[in-house]
Amino acid sequence: MNHPDQAALALYAGGDLGFWARWRVERHLAQCEGCGEEVAAFAAAREIVTDLAEIPDVSWNHLAAEMKANIRLGLAAGECVRMEKPLRDHPWFTGVRTVVALASIITLAVTGLVMEPHSRPHPIAQMDGHTVLQGIQNGIEVEGSGRAFRLMNTGATDVTFSVGAQGSMGARYVDPNTGQVTINNVYAE
Amino acid sequence: MYMRSNRFLQLVAIGLAGVAGLAAQEAPLPRGSVSINFKKDSPVTVVEMSQDSSSATARGAAIVLNLHMGFTLRNDSQSRIHGVMLRVVSQEATAGGKGSVTYPSLNVGPGEVFPVRIEMVLVRPTQAAGGPLAQVDLDGVLYQDLSFYGPDLLHSKRYLTACELEAQRDREYLKRVLAQSGKEGLRQTILQSGARQRQMDAAPLNVRVVRSGPSVTSAALPPEHPEKFAFVRFPDAPVDLVDGSAQISGNEARTPRIDVLNKSGKPVRYFELGWVLSDSSDHQSIAATLPSPERDLYLAPGKSASVLQETTLRLFSKTNQPANVQKMTGFISQVEFTDGKVWVPNRQNLELLGQMVPPSAEEQRLYNVYLKRNIEGLIEELKKF
Repeated sequence: MNHPDQAALALYAGGDLGFWARWRVERHLAQCEGCGEEVAAFAAAREIVTDLAEIPDVSWNHLAAEMKANIRLGLAAGECVRMEKPLRDHPWFTGVRTVVALASIITLAVTGLVMEPHSRPHPIAQMDGHTVLQGIQNGIEVEGSGRAFRLMNTGATDVTFSVGAQGSMGARYVDPNTGQVTINNVYAE
Repeated sequence: MYMRSNRFLQLVAIGLAGVAGLAAQEAPLPRGSVSINFKKDSPVTVVEMSQDSSSATARGAAIVLNLHMGFTLRNDSQSRIHGVMLRVVSQEATAGGKGSVTYPSLNVGPGEVFPVRIEMVLVRPTQAAGGPLAQVDLDGVLYQDLSFYGPDLLHSKRYLTACELEAQRDREYLKRVLAQSGKEGLRQTILQSGARQRQMDAAPLNVRVVRSGPSVTSAALPPEHPEKFAFVRFPDAPVDLVDGSAQISGNEARTPRIDVLNKSGKPVRYFELGWVLSDSSDHQSIAATLPSPERDLYLAPGKSASVLQETTLRLFSKTNQPANVQKMTGFISQVEFTDGKVWVPNRQNLELLGQMVPPSAEEQRLYNVYLKRNIEGLIEELKKF
Protein backbone atom coordinates (compact mmCIF):
# COMPACT_ATOMS: atom_id res chain seq x y z
CA MET A 1 0.00 0.00 0.00
CA ASN A 2 1.28 3.45 -0.96
CA HIS A 3 0.79 5.94 1.90
CA PRO A 4 0.44 9.70 1.28
CA ASP A 5 3.50 11.71 2.43
CA GLN A 6 3.55 13.72 5.69
CA ALA A 7 3.03 17.05 3.88
CA ALA A 8 -0.14 15.80 2.17
CA LEU A 9 -1.52 14.50 5.51
CA ALA A 10 -0.73 17.85 7.24
CA LEU A 11 -2.40 19.83 4.46
CA TYR A 12 -5.40 17.54 4.59
CA ALA A 13 -5.76 18.07 8.35
CA GLY A 14 -5.85 21.83 7.74
CA GLY A 15 -8.30 21.55 4.83
CA ASP A 16 -5.74 23.00 2.45
CA LEU A 17 -5.55 20.20 -0.16
CA GLY A 18 -7.03 20.52 -3.65
CA PHE A 19 -10.08 18.62 -4.77
CA TRP A 20 -8.40 15.60 -6.40
CA ALA A 21 -5.65 15.29 -3.74
CA ARG A 22 -8.23 15.47 -0.94
CA TRP A 23 -10.31 12.74 -2.63
CA ARG A 24 -7.26 10.45 -2.96
CA VAL A 25 -6.25 11.02 0.74
CA GLU A 26 -9.82 10.39 1.93
CA ARG A 27 -9.94 7.08 0.02
CA HIS A 28 -6.65 6.07 1.59
CA LEU A 29 -7.73 7.09 5.14
CA ALA A 30 -10.80 4.90 4.80
CA GLN A 31 -8.51 1.88 4.58
CA CYS A 32 -5.47 2.98 6.72
CA GLU A 33 -5.73 3.52 10.48
CA GLY A 34 -2.09 4.64 10.82
CA CYS A 35 -2.49 7.57 8.45
CA GLY A 36 -5.82 8.41 10.14
CA GLU A 37 -3.96 8.75 13.46
CA GLU A 38 -1.35 10.98 11.78
CA VAL A 39 -4.07 13.28 10.47
CA ALA A 40 -5.64 13.42 13.95
CA ALA A 41 -2.27 14.39 15.46
CA PHE A 42 -1.76 17.19 12.85
CA ALA A 43 -5.27 18.46 13.58
CA ALA A 44 -4.55 18.57 17.36
CA ALA A 45 -1.29 20.43 16.80
CA ARG A 46 -3.05 22.92 14.59
CA GLU A 47 -5.48 23.76 17.40
CA ILE A 48 -2.59 24.47 19.80
CA VAL A 49 -0.92 26.76 17.25
CA THR A 50 -4.22 28.60 16.80
CA ASP A 51 -4.38 29.24 20.56
CA LEU A 52 -0.81 30.56 20.53
CA ALA A 53 -1.67 32.83 17.65
CA GLU A 54 -4.13 34.72 19.78
CA ILE A 55 -1.82 37.71 20.44
CA PRO A 56 -2.87 41.37 20.16
CA ASP A 57 -3.50 42.28 16.57
CA VAL A 58 -0.74 44.20 14.80
CA SER A 59 -1.65 46.43 11.93
CA TRP A 60 1.12 45.51 9.50
CA ASN A 61 -0.15 47.82 6.83
CA HIS A 62 -0.14 50.78 9.23
CA LEU A 63 3.36 49.92 10.37
CA ALA A 64 4.61 49.69 6.79
CA ALA A 65 3.06 53.06 5.93
CA GLU A 66 4.74 54.69 8.92
CA MET A 67 8.15 53.30 7.94
CA LYS A 68 7.76 54.56 4.38
CA ALA A 69 6.89 58.04 5.70
CA ASN A 70 10.00 58.10 7.88
CA ILE A 71 12.21 57.11 4.95
CA ARG A 72 10.70 59.88 2.81
CA LEU A 73 11.28 62.39 5.63
CA GLY A 74 14.92 61.36 5.85
CA LEU A 75 15.44 61.73 2.13
CA ALA A 76 13.76 65.17 2.18
CA ALA A 77 16.01 66.29 5.02
CA GLY A 78 19.05 65.10 3.07
CA GLU A 79 17.97 67.18 0.11
CA CYS A 80 17.69 70.27 2.34
CA VAL A 81 21.26 70.05 3.69
CA ARG A 82 22.93 68.90 0.45
CA MET A 83 25.27 71.57 -1.01
CA GLU A 84 24.49 72.77 -4.49
CA LYS A 85 28.14 72.50 -5.58
CA PRO A 86 30.40 69.50 -5.12
CA LEU A 87 32.77 69.85 -2.11
CA ARG A 88 35.83 70.25 -4.34
CA ASP A 89 34.23 73.38 -5.93
CA HIS A 90 33.51 75.02 -2.56
CA PRO A 91 35.47 78.27 -2.02
CA TRP A 92 37.00 76.78 1.15
CA PHE A 93 38.96 74.43 -1.05
CA THR A 94 40.20 76.95 -3.59
CA GLY A 95 42.75 79.74 -3.83
CA VAL A 96 44.61 80.96 -0.77
CA ARG A 97 42.90 78.48 1.53
CA THR A 98 44.18 75.57 -0.49
CA VAL A 99 47.69 77.02 -0.32
CA VAL A 100 47.39 77.57 3.44
CA ALA A 101 46.08 74.03 3.95
CA LEU A 102 48.89 72.54 1.85
CA ALA A 103 51.49 74.71 3.64
CA SER A 104 50.14 73.50 6.99
CA ILE A 105 50.38 69.87 5.92
CA ILE A 106 53.94 70.40 4.62
CA THR A 107 54.90 72.23 7.84
CA LEU A 108 53.46 69.38 9.89
CA ALA A 109 55.37 66.80 7.86
CA VAL A 110 58.66 68.76 8.04
CA THR A 111 58.19 69.34 11.78
CA GLY A 112 57.58 65.63 12.21
CA LEU A 113 60.80 64.83 10.35
CA VAL A 114 62.79 67.40 12.33
CA MET A 115 61.35 66.21 15.64
CA GLU A 116 61.75 62.53 14.75
CA PRO A 117 65.03 62.03 16.64
CA HIS A 118 63.08 62.94 19.81
CA SER A 119 61.35 59.61 19.54
CA ARG A 120 64.63 57.80 19.74
CA PRO A 121 65.05 56.80 23.35
CA HIS A 122 68.38 57.52 24.98
CA PRO A 123 69.75 55.91 28.11
CA ILE A 124 68.17 57.38 31.19
CA ALA A 125 69.49 57.16 34.71
CA GLN A 126 67.10 58.10 37.48
CA MET A 127 68.55 59.15 40.78
CA ASP A 128 66.79 58.96 44.14
CA GLY A 129 63.40 59.62 42.58
CA HIS A 130 64.01 63.36 42.13
CA THR A 131 67.07 64.01 40.04
CA VAL A 132 67.12 62.46 36.59
CA LEU A 133 70.08 61.99 34.28
CA GLN A 134 69.07 61.49 30.71
CA GLY A 135 69.98 61.77 27.10
CA ILE A 136 67.94 64.42 25.29
CA GLN A 137 67.81 65.75 21.75
CA ASN A 138 71.34 67.06 21.02
CA GLY A 139 72.60 66.66 24.55
CA ILE A 140 72.51 65.22 28.04
CA GLU A 141 70.93 66.71 31.14
CA VAL A 142 70.60 66.45 34.88
CA GLU A 143 67.14 67.60 35.88
CA GLY A 144 65.13 67.90 39.07
CA SER A 145 62.59 70.11 40.85
CA GLY A 146 61.90 72.28 37.80
CA ARG A 147 65.59 73.03 37.25
CA ALA A 148 67.83 71.56 34.60
CA PHE A 149 71.49 71.60 33.63
CA ARG A 150 72.25 70.51 30.07
CA LEU A 151 75.43 70.09 28.07
CA MET A 152 74.65 70.19 24.38
CA ASN A 153 76.30 68.60 21.34
CA THR A 154 74.47 70.65 18.74
CA GLY A 155 75.32 69.81 15.15
CA ALA A 156 77.31 66.70 16.02
CA THR A 157 76.68 63.34 14.39
CA ASP A 158 77.72 59.90 15.62
CA VAL A 159 77.27 60.68 19.30
CA THR A 160 78.22 57.82 21.65
CA PHE A 161 76.33 57.84 24.95
CA SER A 162 77.68 56.20 28.08
CA VAL A 163 76.20 55.57 31.50
CA GLY A 164 78.11 55.31 34.75
CA ALA A 165 76.30 53.15 37.28
CA GLN A 166 77.33 55.48 40.11
CA GLY A 167 75.40 58.39 38.59
CA SER A 168 76.87 59.96 35.49
CA MET A 169 76.05 60.18 31.84
CA GLY A 170 78.36 61.01 28.96
CA ALA A 171 78.10 62.00 25.30
CA ARG A 172 81.16 61.71 23.05
CA TYR A 173 81.30 63.35 19.62
CA VAL A 174 83.51 65.19 17.18
CA ASP A 175 82.76 68.92 17.47
CA PRO A 176 81.77 70.08 13.96
CA ASN A 177 83.24 73.56 14.60
CA THR A 178 86.59 72.71 16.17
CA GLY A 179 87.08 69.17 14.76
CA GLN A 180 88.09 68.00 18.25
CA VAL A 181 86.77 64.98 20.06
CA THR A 182 84.69 66.33 22.92
CA ILE A 183 83.27 64.34 25.82
CA ASN A 184 80.48 65.96 27.83
CA ASN A 185 79.59 64.45 31.19
CA VAL A 186 76.88 65.37 33.65
CA TYR A 187 76.88 64.11 37.22
CA ALA A 188 74.22 63.82 39.88
CA GLU A 189 75.89 63.52 43.24
CA MET B 1 38.74 87.76 -4.47
CA TYR B 2 39.24 90.98 -2.50
CA MET B 3 37.87 89.26 0.63
CA ARG B 4 40.23 86.33 0.16
CA SER B 5 43.24 88.67 -0.09
CA ASN B 6 42.11 90.46 3.06
CA ARG B 7 41.91 87.23 4.99
CA PHE B 8 45.35 86.19 3.78
CA LEU B 9 46.80 89.50 5.01
CA GLN B 10 45.07 88.96 8.36
CA LEU B 11 46.74 85.56 8.66
CA VAL B 12 50.16 87.03 7.86
CA ALA B 13 49.61 89.80 10.43
CA ILE B 14 48.69 87.26 13.13
CA GLY B 15 51.81 85.22 12.31
CA LEU B 16 54.08 88.27 12.49
CA ALA B 17 52.53 89.34 15.79
CA GLY B 18 53.19 85.86 17.21
CA VAL B 19 56.84 85.91 16.09
CA ALA B 20 57.28 89.41 17.52
CA GLY B 21 55.79 88.26 20.82
CA LEU B 22 58.18 85.34 21.02
CA ALA B 23 61.16 87.52 20.11
CA ALA B 24 60.22 89.98 22.83
CA GLN B 25 60.74 87.25 25.46
CA GLU B 26 64.32 86.55 24.37
CA ALA B 27 67.15 88.73 25.64
CA PRO B 28 70.96 88.60 25.38
CA LEU B 29 72.82 87.56 28.53
CA PRO B 30 74.87 90.24 30.30
CA ARG B 31 78.66 89.99 30.53
CA GLY B 32 79.73 88.30 33.74
CA SER B 33 77.08 85.59 33.39
CA VAL B 34 79.87 83.04 33.27
CA SER B 35 82.76 83.06 35.69
CA ILE B 36 86.08 81.61 34.46
CA ASN B 37 88.37 80.53 37.28
CA PHE B 38 91.80 79.44 36.10
CA LYS B 39 94.46 79.65 38.78
CA LYS B 40 97.50 81.87 38.35
CA ASP B 41 99.83 78.90 37.90
CA SER B 42 97.51 77.26 35.36
CA PRO B 43 99.38 75.83 32.33
CA VAL B 44 96.54 77.01 30.07
CA THR B 45 95.18 80.55 29.91
CA VAL B 46 92.14 82.06 28.22
CA VAL B 47 93.28 84.20 25.30
CA GLU B 48 89.82 84.98 24.00
CA MET B 49 86.28 84.30 25.07
CA SER B 50 82.99 84.80 23.28
CA GLN B 51 79.42 84.29 24.44
CA ASP B 52 77.80 86.62 21.92
CA SER B 53 74.86 84.46 20.92
CA SER B 54 73.96 83.49 24.49
CA SER B 55 70.44 84.40 25.48
CA ALA B 56 67.74 84.08 28.12
CA THR B 57 64.20 83.09 27.18
CA ALA B 58 61.17 83.23 29.48
CA ARG B 59 59.08 80.10 29.29
CA GLY B 60 56.14 80.17 31.68
CA ALA B 61 57.40 80.39 35.26
CA ALA B 62 60.87 79.28 34.21
CA ILE B 63 63.73 80.96 32.44
CA VAL B 64 65.85 79.09 29.88
CA LEU B 65 69.44 80.29 29.60
CA ASN B 66 71.31 79.28 26.46
CA LEU B 67 75.04 79.68 26.96
CA HIS B 68 77.15 79.39 23.83
CA MET B 69 80.73 79.81 24.96
CA GLY B 70 83.74 79.78 22.69
CA PHE B 71 87.24 79.97 24.14
CA THR B 72 90.70 80.20 22.70
CA LEU B 73 93.12 78.62 25.18
CA ARG B 74 96.93 78.87 25.07
CA ASN B 75 99.42 76.32 26.32
CA ASP B 76 101.65 78.35 28.61
CA SER B 77 103.59 75.30 29.83
CA GLN B 78 106.84 73.85 28.50
CA SER B 79 105.31 70.49 27.56
CA ARG B 80 102.91 69.24 24.92
CA ILE B 81 99.34 68.99 26.17
CA HIS B 82 97.42 65.82 25.24
CA GLY B 83 94.22 66.32 27.20
CA VAL B 84 92.18 68.89 29.11
CA MET B 85 89.12 68.58 31.33
CA LEU B 86 87.04 71.62 32.26
CA ARG B 87 84.63 71.49 35.18
CA VAL B 88 81.31 73.29 34.66
CA VAL B 89 79.29 73.96 37.80
CA SER B 90 75.92 75.61 38.19
CA GLN B 91 74.57 75.24 41.71
CA GLU B 92 71.94 77.71 40.60
CA ALA B 93 70.45 75.27 38.11
CA THR B 94 70.29 72.00 39.99
CA ALA B 95 71.32 71.27 43.54
CA GLY B 96 74.60 69.41 43.23
CA GLY B 97 74.36 69.37 39.43
CA LYS B 98 77.65 69.61 37.64
CA GLY B 99 79.24 68.69 34.40
CA SER B 100 82.56 68.36 32.68
CA VAL B 101 83.76 68.96 29.15
CA THR B 102 86.79 66.89 28.20
CA TYR B 103 89.09 67.28 25.22
CA PRO B 104 91.18 64.11 24.85
CA SER B 105 93.53 63.40 21.92
CA LEU B 106 94.96 66.93 21.84
CA ASN B 107 98.47 67.65 20.57
CA VAL B 108 99.18 71.24 21.57
CA GLY B 109 102.78 72.42 21.78
CA PRO B 110 104.13 75.12 24.14
CA GLY B 111 102.83 78.58 23.15
CA GLU B 112 100.25 77.15 20.76
CA VAL B 113 96.56 78.00 21.01
CA PHE B 114 93.53 75.75 20.58
CA PRO B 115 89.78 76.41 20.43
CA VAL B 116 87.24 74.88 22.79
CA ARG B 117 83.48 75.26 22.85
CA ILE B 118 80.90 74.72 25.59
CA GLU B 119 77.20 74.66 24.77
CA MET B 120 75.12 74.74 27.92
CA VAL B 121 71.44 75.20 28.75
CA LEU B 122 70.21 76.08 32.23
CA VAL B 123 66.54 75.97 33.21
CA ARG B 124 65.61 77.66 36.48
CA PRO B 125 62.72 79.52 38.12
CA THR B 126 62.47 83.17 37.03
CA GLN B 127 62.86 84.52 40.54
CA ALA B 128 66.21 82.85 41.20
CA ALA B 129 69.03 84.77 42.89
CA GLY B 130 71.58 86.81 40.94
CA GLY B 131 75.31 86.16 40.45
CA PRO B 132 77.17 84.14 37.80
CA LEU B 133 75.03 81.55 36.08
CA ALA B 134 77.86 79.13 35.60
CA GLN B 135 81.42 78.68 36.72
CA VAL B 136 84.09 77.10 34.52
CA ASP B 137 87.21 75.71 36.23
CA LEU B 138 90.18 73.73 35.02
CA ASP B 139 89.96 70.23 36.53
CA GLY B 140 93.03 68.80 34.88
CA VAL B 141 95.65 68.92 32.14
CA LEU B 142 97.49 65.81 30.89
CA TYR B 143 100.86 66.17 29.21
CA GLN B 144 102.48 64.00 26.57
CA ASP B 145 104.61 62.22 29.21
CA LEU B 146 101.43 61.43 31.23
CA SER B 147 102.31 63.93 33.94
CA PHE B 148 99.36 65.88 35.23
CA TYR B 149 98.30 69.27 36.53
CA GLY B 150 95.03 70.16 38.25
CA PRO B 151 92.83 69.83 41.33
CA ASP B 152 91.45 66.53 39.94
CA LEU B 153 88.06 66.94 41.61
CA LEU B 154 86.36 64.88 38.89
CA HIS B 155 89.15 62.25 38.64
CA SER B 156 90.32 63.82 35.40
CA LYS B 157 93.82 62.38 35.88
CA ARG B 158 92.57 58.79 35.62
CA TYR B 159 90.06 59.66 32.90
CA LEU B 160 92.51 61.56 30.69
CA THR B 161 95.26 58.98 31.26
CA ALA B 162 92.96 56.14 30.18
CA CYS B 163 91.95 58.14 27.08
CA GLU B 164 95.60 58.84 26.25
CA LEU B 165 96.62 55.18 26.67
CA GLU B 166 93.77 54.11 24.38
CA ALA B 167 94.83 56.79 21.86
CA GLN B 168 98.45 55.60 21.91
CA ARG B 169 97.30 51.98 21.52
CA ASP B 170 95.07 52.76 18.53
CA ARG B 171 97.60 55.02 16.77
CA GLU B 172 100.26 52.30 17.10
CA TYR B 173 97.81 49.73 15.73
CA LEU B 174 96.96 51.88 12.70
CA LYS B 175 100.65 52.59 12.04
CA ARG B 176 101.27 48.84 12.14
CA VAL B 177 98.43 48.23 9.69
CA LEU B 178 99.89 50.89 7.37
CA ALA B 179 103.34 49.29 7.53
CA GLN B 180 102.02 45.78 6.90
CA SER B 181 99.08 46.32 4.51
CA GLY B 182 99.74 49.73 2.98
CA LYS B 183 97.29 52.53 2.33
CA GLU B 184 94.49 50.21 1.25
CA GLY B 185 94.80 48.16 4.44
CA LEU B 186 94.69 51.35 6.51
CA ARG B 187 91.66 52.57 4.56
CA GLN B 188 89.79 49.30 5.20
CA THR B 189 90.64 49.37 8.91
CA ILE B 190 89.50 52.96 9.46
CA LEU B 191 86.31 52.29 7.48
CA GLN B 192 85.60 49.28 9.70
CA SER B 193 86.05 51.54 12.71
CA GLY B 194 83.51 54.01 11.29
CA ALA B 195 81.10 51.16 10.59
CA ARG B 196 81.43 49.94 14.19
CA GLN B 197 80.71 53.46 15.43
CA ARG B 198 77.52 53.64 13.36
CA GLN B 199 76.55 50.14 14.50
CA MET B 200 76.82 51.24 18.13
CA ASP B 201 74.71 54.31 17.42
CA ALA B 202 72.06 52.07 15.87
CA ALA B 203 72.17 49.46 18.67
CA PRO B 204 68.72 47.86 19.04
CA LEU B 205 68.68 48.14 22.82
CA ASN B 206 68.82 50.95 25.34
CA VAL B 207 69.52 50.86 29.03
CA ARG B 208 68.23 52.94 31.90
CA VAL B 209 69.98 52.97 35.22
CA VAL B 210 68.32 53.51 38.57
CA ARG B 211 70.56 54.06 41.54
CA SER B 212 69.93 52.27 44.82
CA GLY B 213 67.24 49.83 45.80
CA PRO B 214 64.58 47.96 43.83
CA SER B 215 62.79 49.91 41.15
CA VAL B 216 59.20 51.08 41.37
CA THR B 217 58.06 48.75 38.59
CA SER B 218 59.19 45.61 40.38
CA ALA B 219 55.68 44.75 41.57
CA ALA B 220 54.55 44.32 37.97
CA LEU B 221 57.49 42.12 37.07
CA PRO B 222 57.95 38.37 37.45
CA PRO B 223 59.72 37.16 40.61
CA GLU B 224 63.45 37.89 40.49
CA HIS B 225 66.09 35.21 40.40
CA PRO B 226 69.88 35.32 40.59
CA GLU B 227 71.66 35.16 37.23
CA LYS B 228 75.39 34.65 36.85
CA PHE B 229 77.60 36.87 34.73
CA ALA B 230 79.34 35.46 31.70
CA PHE B 231 82.83 36.95 31.84
CA VAL B 232 85.13 37.85 28.98
CA ARG B 233 88.56 37.41 30.54
CA PHE B 234 91.69 39.14 29.29
CA PRO B 235 94.92 37.20 29.92
CA ASP B 236 96.95 40.35 30.65
CA ALA B 237 94.37 42.09 32.87
CA PRO B 238 95.80 42.87 36.33
CA VAL B 239 92.42 42.11 37.91
CA ASP B 240 90.51 38.92 37.21
CA LEU B 241 86.77 38.54 37.49
CA VAL B 242 86.19 35.45 39.64
CA ASP B 243 82.45 35.31 40.08
CA GLY B 244 79.46 37.57 39.79
CA SER B 245 75.71 37.62 39.69
CA ALA B 246 72.75 39.98 39.72
CA GLN B 247 69.05 39.66 40.47
CA ILE B 248 67.06 39.39 37.23
CA SER B 249 63.38 40.07 36.85
CA GLY B 250 61.82 40.76 33.46
CA ASN B 251 63.69 43.68 31.92
CA GLU B 252 65.55 44.53 35.13
CA ALA B 253 68.96 43.46 36.39
CA ARG B 254 69.52 44.60 39.95
CA THR B 255 72.25 44.81 42.57
CA PRO B 256 75.24 43.29 40.78
CA ARG B 257 77.83 41.61 42.99
CA ILE B 258 81.28 40.98 41.57
CA ASP B 259 84.17 39.02 43.10
CA VAL B 260 87.56 40.07 41.82
CA LEU B 261 91.14 38.92 42.32
CA ASN B 262 94.17 41.18 42.00
CA LYS B 263 96.60 38.96 40.12
CA SER B 264 99.14 41.75 39.58
CA GLY B 265 102.09 42.62 41.80
CA LYS B 266 100.75 46.09 42.70
CA PRO B 267 97.87 47.24 44.87
CA VAL B 268 94.77 48.39 42.99
CA ARG B 269 92.64 51.38 44.06
CA TYR B 270 90.07 51.44 41.27
CA PHE B 271 88.69 49.23 38.55
CA GLU B 272 85.85 49.56 36.10
CA LEU B 273 83.68 46.83 34.69
CA GLY B 274 81.88 46.92 31.35
CA TRP B 275 78.42 45.44 31.92
CA VAL B 276 76.61 44.26 28.81
CA LEU B 277 73.01 43.02 28.76
CA SER B 278 71.47 40.85 26.04
CA ASP B 279 67.79 40.27 25.34
CA SER B 280 66.12 37.03 24.22
CA SER B 281 66.98 37.84 20.56
CA ASP B 282 70.66 38.05 21.59
CA HIS B 283 70.69 41.78 20.88
CA GLN B 284 73.45 43.30 22.96
CA SER B 285 73.72 46.67 24.60
CA ILE B 286 76.75 48.23 26.27
CA ALA B 287 74.82 48.85 29.41
CA ALA B 288 77.01 50.78 31.75
CA THR B 289 80.40 51.09 33.27
CA LEU B 290 80.34 49.67 36.75
CA PRO B 291 82.99 51.41 38.80
CA SER B 292 84.38 50.12 42.05
CA PRO B 293 83.64 52.33 45.07
CA GLU B 294 85.87 55.42 44.94
CA ARG B 295 86.90 55.60 48.59
CA ASP B 296 86.76 52.11 49.98
CA LEU B 297 88.81 49.97 47.61
CA TYR B 298 92.34 48.91 48.36
CA LEU B 299 93.04 45.60 46.72
CA ALA B 300 96.44 44.22 47.67
CA PRO B 301 98.33 41.87 45.30
CA GLY B 302 96.93 38.32 45.40
CA LYS B 303 93.88 39.38 47.38
CA SER B 304 90.27 39.11 46.35
CA ALA B 305 87.30 41.27 47.20
CA SER B 306 83.57 41.49 46.61
CA VAL B 307 82.08 44.63 45.15
CA LEU B 308 78.36 45.28 45.45
CA GLN B 309 76.56 48.08 43.64
CA GLU B 310 73.06 49.19 44.61
CA THR B 311 72.11 49.74 41.00
CA THR B 312 69.26 48.61 38.80
CA LEU B 313 69.58 48.41 35.04
CA ARG B 314 66.48 48.30 32.85
CA LEU B 315 66.61 47.11 29.28
CA PHE B 316 64.45 48.68 26.57
CA SER B 317 64.09 48.32 22.84
CA LYS B 318 64.55 51.27 20.48
CA THR B 319 60.78 51.67 20.50
CA ASN B 320 60.93 52.01 24.28
CA GLN B 321 59.36 48.62 24.98
CA PRO B 322 60.76 46.59 27.91
CA ALA B 323 63.13 43.88 26.67
CA ASN B 324 63.66 40.91 28.95
CA VAL B 325 67.18 40.42 30.21
CA GLN B 326 68.43 37.06 28.99
CA LYS B 327 72.18 37.24 29.51
CA MET B 328 74.77 39.44 31.22
CA THR B 329 78.37 39.77 30.15
CA GLY B 330 81.10 41.52 32.11
CA PHE B 331 84.69 42.46 31.35
CA ILE B 332 87.37 44.57 32.99
CA SER B 333 87.59 47.87 31.11
CA GLN B 334 90.00 49.86 33.29
CA VAL B 335 92.27 49.42 36.32
CA GLU B 336 94.12 52.08 38.32
CA PHE B 337 96.94 51.15 40.67
CA THR B 338 97.75 53.02 43.84
CA ASP B 339 100.84 54.51 42.14
CA GLY B 340 98.55 56.26 39.61
CA LYS B 341 99.36 53.95 36.68
CA VAL B 342 96.38 52.93 34.57
CA TRP B 343 95.70 49.73 32.61
CA VAL B 344 93.34 49.55 29.59
CA PRO B 345 92.57 46.52 27.36
CA ASN B 346 94.86 45.99 24.35
CA ARG B 347 93.75 45.44 20.73
CA GLN B 348 93.73 41.64 21.11
CA ASN B 349 91.42 42.02 24.11
CA LEU B 350 89.12 44.25 22.11
CA GLU B 351 88.88 41.59 19.40
CA LEU B 352 87.54 39.20 22.05
CA LEU B 353 84.77 41.70 22.75
CA GLY B 354 83.78 41.91 19.08
CA GLN B 355 81.05 44.48 18.50
CA MET B 356 80.25 45.02 22.19
CA VAL B 357 82.30 48.20 22.63
CA PRO B 358 82.44 51.37 20.52
CA PRO B 359 85.69 52.60 18.96
CA SER B 360 87.87 54.74 21.21
CA ALA B 361 87.77 58.55 21.19
CA GLU B 362 91.00 58.57 19.15
CA GLU B 363 89.57 56.15 16.56
CA GLN B 364 86.53 58.41 16.30
CA ARG B 365 88.79 61.44 15.76
CA LEU B 366 90.99 59.68 13.19
CA TYR B 367 87.93 58.43 11.28
CA ASN B 368 86.76 62.04 11.13
CA VAL B 369 90.21 63.08 9.85
CA TYR B 370 89.91 60.42 7.12
CA LEU B 371 86.45 61.68 6.12
CA LYS B 372 87.74 65.27 5.80
CA ARG B 373 91.26 64.77 4.44
CA ASN B 374 91.19 61.28 2.91
CA ILE B 375 93.86 58.61 3.40
CA GLU B 376 96.81 60.98 2.86
CA GLY B 377 95.47 63.28 5.59
CA LEU B 378 95.11 60.33 7.96
CA ILE B 379 98.68 59.17 7.33
CA GLU B 380 99.94 62.72 7.89
CA GLU B 381 98.00 62.90 11.18
CA LEU B 382 99.47 59.58 12.38
CA LYS B 383 102.99 60.87 11.68
CA LYS B 384 102.46 63.79 14.09
CA PHE B 385 102.58 61.42 17.06
